[in-house]
Order: sequence, then structure tokens, then C-alpha cells
Amino acid sequence: MGIKTTARYATVWAIVLGMAFPFLIMLSTALKGPNEIFAAPPKLLPHEWNFASFGDALNAMPFWRYLGNTLLVSGLCVVGSLISCPLVAYSLSKLHWPGRNVVLVLMLSTMMLPPQVTLVPLYLLWDKLGLVGTYLPLVIPSFLGTPFLIFMLRQFLMGVPDELLDAARLDGASELRVYASVVLPLARPALATVAVFQFVWSWTDFLNPLIYLNDSSQYTLSIGLYNFFSEHGVDWGPLMAASVMFTLPALVIFLLGQRHFVEGIATRGLK
Amino acid sequence: MRRKATRAAGSRRRLWLGLAFASPWLLGFVALVAGPILASGYYSFTDFNLFQSPTNVGFANYQELLHDERFGQALANTLILTVVGVPVSLMLALLLALALNLRVRGMPFYRAVVYLPTIVPIVVTTYVWRWLLNAQYGWINRLLGLVGLPQPSWLEDPAFTKPAVILIGLWTVGGTTVIYLAALKNVPQETYEAAAMDGAGPWQKFRAVTWPALSPVTLFQLIVGVIASLQLFTQPYLLAQNRLNGAAGGPDDSLLTYGMYVFQNAFVFLKMGYASALAWVLFLITMAVSAGLLLTSRRWVHYGN
Amino acid sequence: MYRRLRPIAAVAAAVLTAAVAACGGGGDTASGKTEVVFSYLWSGQEAAALEKVIADFNASQDKIVVKGVSSPDFQKQLTSMSSANGSFDISDNFGSGVGAWASKGILTPLDDFMKTDGYDTADFVPSAMNQMKYDGKTYSMPIALHTQLLMYNKKLFAEAGIDKAPVTVEEWAADIDKLTKRGADGTITQLGYANAEINTSLTTLGFMFGGSWDDAQGKPSPADPGVVAGTKFYADTIPGKYGVDKVRKFTSGFGEYQSAQNPFYTGKVATMIDGEWQSVFIKKFAPNLEWGVAPLPYPAAKPELAGTTQVTTSTLFIPKNAKHPKEAWTFMKYLLDKKSMLDFTLALGNLPARTSMVDDPGYAELPNFSAWLAAMKGSNAKSLASGPTAAQYAADLGTAFDDIAQLRKSPADALAGVADKAKKYAP
Repeated sequence: MGIKTTARYATVWAIVLGMAFPFLIMLSTALKGPNEIFAAPPKLLPHEWNFASFGDALNAMPFWRYLGNTLLVSGLCVVGSLISCPLVAYSLSKLHWPGRNVVLVLMLSTMMLPPQVTLVPLYLLWDKLGLVGTYLPLVIPSFLGTPFLIFMLRQFLMGVPDELLDAARLDGASELRVYASVVLPLARPALATVAVFQFVWSWTDFLNPLIYLNDSSQYTLSIGLYNFFSEHGVDWGPLMAASVMFTLPALVIFLLGQRHFVEGIATRGLK
Repeated sequence: MRRKATRAAGSRRRLWLGLAFASPWLLGFVALVAGPILASGYYSFTDFNLFQSPTNVGFANYQELLHDERFGQALANTLILTVVGVPVSLMLALLLALALNLRVRGMPFYRAVVYLPTIVPIVVTTYVWRWLLNAQYGWINRLLGLVGLPQPSWLEDPAFTKPAVILIGLWTVGGTTVIYLAALKNVPQETYEAAAMDGAGPWQKFRAVTWPALSPVTLFQLIVGVIASLQLFTQPYLLAQNRLNGAAGGPDDSLLTYGMYVFQNAFVFLKMGYASALAWVLFLITMAVSAGLLLTSRRWVHYGN
Repeated sequence: MYRRLRPIAAVAAAVLTAAVAACGGGGDTASGKTEVVFSYLWSGQEAAALEKVIADFNASQDKIVVKGVSSPDFQKQLTSMSSANGSFDISDNFGSGVGAWASKGILTPLDDFMKTDGYDTADFVPSAMNQMKYDGKTYSMPIALHTQLLMYNKKLFAEAGIDKAPVTVEEWAADIDKLTKRGADGTITQLGYANAEINTSLTTLGFMFGGSWDDAQGKPSPADPGVVAGTKFYADTIPGKYGVDKVRKFTSGFGEYQSAQNPFYTGKVATMIDGEWQSVFIKKFAPNLEWGVAPLPYPAAKPELAGTTQVTTSTLFIPKNAKHPKEAWTFMKYLLDKKSMLDFTLALGNLPARTSMVDDPGYAELPNFSAWLAAMKGSNAKSLASGPTAAQYAADLGTAFDDIAQLRKSPADALAGVADKAKKYAP
């Protein structure tokens, strides 16, 4: 005990404070009135609590509609990923077919592809299909599987002993049945990880909604906030208030699924 | 004979089953990856603006690159951000991981706080930092002032915009930190004890035990980090954003990254052919850099122990 | 290759449209009226004023209903016009951009509509009408004009012992110095002049020094000695005198332009060059501000430049991918009509685009507004050309102005650089 322990806690708490500081400023700016925001030097906490910025932000954009839109897109993407990713992961881990490793390598290498390369052709593709200005370009890709999530699930399924599946197969179950009644229930924790990752990605996505959504009634919160800035510029109080409201849902999901995040992220590095 | 036939039939069946289960991604690969890559290659040899159909122009787009000052600027900006930003954030992540790996109580809480910034929507992150970095009313300058350091105009001075982008990147280093933490947990405790018996100090322990064990993860993080950094778009795009969203690249184009320049050419200048050529060059650069990193890795990455 | 995907996409589309519709994302009206989407760049109180005009139109109509959408985003406006599915039927922009878009085929020419209706454009300000044309066709219509004048804070003038607005640029420069306050270390606490918006302010300065940004054929002429002198005036008078770093820091603390925190309203800035809409803005955001407006100063050696101003035009246009171009034209005609143009320009505090309306008594209620109206009629009212390369030229000028304002390049060098680039795209 003593100095060494104190130093340890001091280090750790310095890190925690440093990381939390921007959150604190975001919240305190949202709660300050315009006179206090433009005060030099700035004060850490608002002298007078002012909730007007939240009202201003809600008036300046249809926040609840954007929230609904964002939930809809994120929700559909989660459904898509939960349908497609385990199918592919099962194929690449437990169906020992020739060529599966080629597919795996191909899949991993697409993770290196800069999205700019496919930006123009994909836009033209969706445009030709008449789907620019709908949610489909944001949602359909998740129904076709996301390499990182597939890979994570594959790593998980590799750890499931083959005997378990063979027992079911010997009972005469079809492959689809084995998949549905044995593999999916076993993979539940890994599927939860897939869901939280996909949710946060879709929730925070910016470039795709920026390109594909045209009508302001369809905007997601990312684009709503971006638009708010382009309209009101440096109106810091309402901007920070909107930011707080936008961050909260992701925060809730994070606190609920914290374990899944950390485990998922950790497997990514440890192939 | 018959046995062979059944085995062949079995393997054919397995092939079909495998393909069937993998079909969502295979379809996605063809339609959303391979097809577009080829199409992009084709477009890069044409001139078109979405309204008028493509006309073949041969290598003209690639030749234009050689004379395009803003292309040079965008490439240089991106390389600077990558060469400085990626190593700095890896180092910070490692230091944070080592600190969080100390024996302290409440570990899951600390880990969560460090990871938290990475789940904040990137639009929010960037706007919060725009405010923190405000030259006159921002807290970064306030803190710098308290310890007597100079207070730059972060987002108005071309010399400081790139440090600003890197600084924002450092706040979201939690993902990398968590991976390092997981790797640290996998270093066998006995090795440390053995090193301690040999009289090794903390630095020698790090050099002889920790670093070799972490080097494969570091290689992975380095490649992932470099690839992500080469495509950097959202943070600089939003830092340079002004009222009414004219096409902007920050002061003196110092925030114009390669990814932003591709976007501007495609959707602001409507030069789709030129944008495709730019994208292909980025593709080749990414592959070359990744291959280069893998080659040099033999000298410093230790596998197994 | 993509055609084969269509059935799959169609099925998926059906499923999702159902999902989306269930969540209330629908758009068409139940009453059987055609919905015209009017996406405009105006925002804040200007958007609110515009919505009133739209509501009046909707009340007068049984076939068309206009839905106004405030989308103050130049990039999004263009992206939306480049997909097969148009998201709006009518929108607005500025006169100098007409040629660039018309040449790319983005805009619907209005000539056929005009011919069918026998629409008369003779009442519109001729210089503005010229900007609307490209290759002999009309691609936009002017809804409002804008002029630039010198605005000053009377209280700060009195504090500095200045009793009248400057007439020559030399007097102005001397006033700016008296109106600038600095701390012991050079930190600026009040600035004699700041750009309201750098591109408009610096191009206006170019005109004030007798320059022209385009030659007689409408091609860029950024190396013209007058425009070099105008931009040099800014570089020498502000950043050159008070230090780039100090000016940068001071301006980084400016509040939002369209708010009570605008630095001119808060007394941080004593003079600025800006447009007639300030008359309405100040009434709303800073009703107690004591402010005056004066003709733009001219170089003492060139008295013939007295009364110089820059005229810009707000335009209405119909994009090529509009779903209801005919109905959009009906609405456009309504907006261009004298009565709605008066409502619109009065609400936004903009100058009318019709010559017959310049002397309308309605404008008398706006403080100081008559000065801007008068400037529009002067013989030294100048504008930028609207050629097909105007967008590229404006972008290059923007970069050069930034270099000039940050003293990275001398005005002559920066603008010579623009001239070099312009040679490539406008030979």
C-alpha cells in the first residue's frame, strides 16, 4: 500500500477524467445560456441552468422524426446482419466444402478496400435501380453480410465441437435444421455482439445517409445534425443540446451491451 | 468404386450446401464489391457527369492527376495524417492499455469509459471538438493557457488543423486500447516472473516479454489503422464544413484529405470519371502500403513463444 | 450487369416501402392535389417568411399544393439534382451560377413555358435577366436583387470621435485604425472592419477600386489591376496591420451570422460591407443597435467610382429531374408576380427584381433600406459574369482570397495563380 497504489489510482483516474472531459463540456455547453457560452475564460459549469437550448434544438429540426428514421434504419440493418452473417459464418466454419478458405481470404481482403473505390459505381447502381432517396441502399448491404461480423461469428463457431452437429445430423436432421436448432441457439452470445456492433455502426453512419438520402423527411440524426450546422452554423448551445440527445441512445445500448462490445473488439485483434 | 462415387456425391453436396449458406455474401460480393470495382475501373477512363453519358477519354484522367495541384495537396495531407497519426495513436493505446492493466479495482468501469468515445456518433464527436478547439472560447486553449503554453487557432491556422484531426483521433483510441488489453491478459504471468528472477527492471520486462507478445497485434492494428487513415473522410469534412456547405478544404486546403477530394470530384464538381481515377489510385496505394507493412513485419513481429 | 438485380430489388423495395410507410414516411397528398416540393437555401427567419408566401399560394390553389423544405446546403442541392429520382421541383440559387449548371444540363429551360403562357419578362431588371440566359435560352428567373453598402456602428464611431461615415477609402482606412482596439500584447478586442462573407466582400472591394472580375467576353480576368488593388486594401488594412494570428483568433470567436451574436451587432466589429437584408436582420436580432449605412468608399484619386456596388441576384429554377415541372412553373409565376414579390422581398428585406417596383412605398418601413435601393439604380452597379466556368472560377477565387487574407501570398501572386488556372478551363 501507499505511494505505489496511490500513483496507480492517480494514473487511472487521470485517464478517466481526460476521456470524460469532452462529454462534460458537451453537457455543460448545452445547459448554458448564450451569454455564458461566449464568456472568456469559459466556466466549467453553467452558472444558471438553462434548458432553452434543448427546446431550440427540438424546434429547429424534427428531432423525433429523425430519431424514428435512425431507429428504423439501424433496426433493419440489425435484422439484416442477424439473418445473413450467421448463415455465411456457418458455411465458412462448419460445412467443410472445397473453396471455403478461398472465400474466407477473399472476404477478409475486401475489408481492406477503401470505400471510395466503390463510391461512384454504387451510387450509379442504386440510382439505376431507382433507389436513391430511399433507405434501401443503407439497409440492403447488411442483408448480404458484413465481413467483420461474419469473421467474428466464424471464429466463435470454430470453437463449437463438430461432434455436437454430427449427433444431430445422425438423427436425420437436415442441414438447415441443424443450423436452426443447434447452431443458432449455441451462437446466441456471439449474435448479441453482432447486433450491438451493427446497431452502433448504423446509428453513427454519416457518409452513406449523406449520399443516399435526399428528402429532409427521411434524414437520420447524423444528417439532421449536419444540416443543423449548415443552417445555424456555430449556434453552440442548441448544437450541443442536439448532440447530447443524439448520443444518449447509443450510450444506453452501450451500457446494456458493454460486455459484448469489449469481447467483440478483443476477438478482432486476436486471430 | 461405389464408395468413391458416394464420397464424390457427398463432396458435391457439401459444395452446394456451402455455397448456398454463403450465398448472401457471395451475392453481395459480386454486386456490391467486385462489380463496382470493375465499373470504377471502366469509368476512370471516361468523362461523365451523371447527366450526360460517359465518353471514352483514354488515360486523360490519369494524366490530369499529374498536373492537379489539389490532388498533390490531398495526397500529402493524407500521408501526413497517416504517418504521424497512426503511430501516435497506437502508442497512446498501448500506454493506456498498460495503465489499465495495473492492479486497480473497478477495472470494467475504467475500460468502459475509455471505450465510450468510440460509440459516439462521429458527427457529434467532430462538433464537440470544434467547440473544444475554438481559439477564443474553447477549453483546449484554456487548459493550455493555464499551464502557460501558446494557444493556437486550431481550426483557422493551416499549421494546426492536422494536429486537431489527430487529437480527435486520440480521443477515440478506445477500440485499439481494448484489443491491446486483451492481448496483455494473454501474456503468461510465469514469463514475467522468470524475467523478474533474472533481475529485469520494468523496462527490460517490457522489451523482453511484453513487446514481443504484443507485436503480432501491433502489426494487425497498424495495418487496420493505416487503411482507415488513408480513407479518412468524416472528421476533416466536418471540421472544414462552413455555413451552407460550400465545397471546403479548411484553411489553405490543409484539411483536404484524399477521401474528401474523391467525394468533391464526384458529387460537387460532378466529375465522376476523374473521381473514379482518383479512387483507383487510392486503391493501389492502399494495397502497396499494406503489402509493404507485411514485408517489413518479418523483422519486428514475433510469432509464438 | 445491374439489370438482373432489378427483380430482387423490387421485392425488397416492396417489403421495405411497406415498413417505411407504416412508420409514416409517406409524401403524396390525400386530397388529389399535385404536390410541388420547393427546396430552398433560405433558413431561420427568412425561411419562416417564405413559408407565409407559400401558405398564401396554397390557399389560392385547388390543383397544386406546395411543400416548402429549408435545405441550406449547396452540396446537397446539387446531389439531389443528380439522381434519377428528383427530390424537389423548384429551388433557388444565385445568378452567377446559372451558366455553369445550364451547360451541364441540370436545369429545365423555361422558354417553352413562357411561350405557351405568353409570359413577358420586360419588367425584370435587364442585367439580371442577362445572367439567367445561357446559349440563347432562359434557365432561371430572378426573384430578388441584392446590393452591397458600407454599414457602420454609430455608437462606436462617436466613441472614436468620428462624426461622419468615410467617403474615400483613405478616410475609411484611417477610421478603421481609430476603431480598432487592442490589448498590450496586441490581442484584438474590437476591429474596425471585418468581412461579412469573404468572397462577397473581397469581390466587392475589387469593384470599389475600379476593377472587373471578368473581361468583355465574360471570361475570368482575375489579374486586372483594379481587383488586385481592392484585395490588397484588405490585406494591408487588416491582417497586414494587426497580425494574421491576432485577427484569426479574434474572428474565431465570432458568433453566428444570423443571430444576436453577430459580431457587428455585438459591437465587436465597427464597419462591414453587407447587403440590404441586414435591414430586416437588425430589426429582429439587434433592435437597439445604432447603425448607419453609406455608399461604398472610393479611392480619392478616382472620384468617378463613387456609388460603386456589387449586384447579385437570387434566382428560381426548375431542375431537370423535377417530377412536376409544369406545376413548378405555375408556382414560379406566382412568386414572380408583383404582389408576391413584394410580400417576399419585404419579409426577407431583399430588393425587388422588377424595375416597376423599385419605388414602391412599401419598402419605406424598413430602416435604411432606401440606400440599398438607390445603389441598385446607380451607374456603377457591377456584377460577376455567369459563364459555364463560373463555379470553378468562384472556387479558385475562394482559395486565393484565403491565401490573401492569411498573407500567405501577395494579392498579385495569388490572383495571377487564378489567372493561370483559368486559362486551362476558359481559354
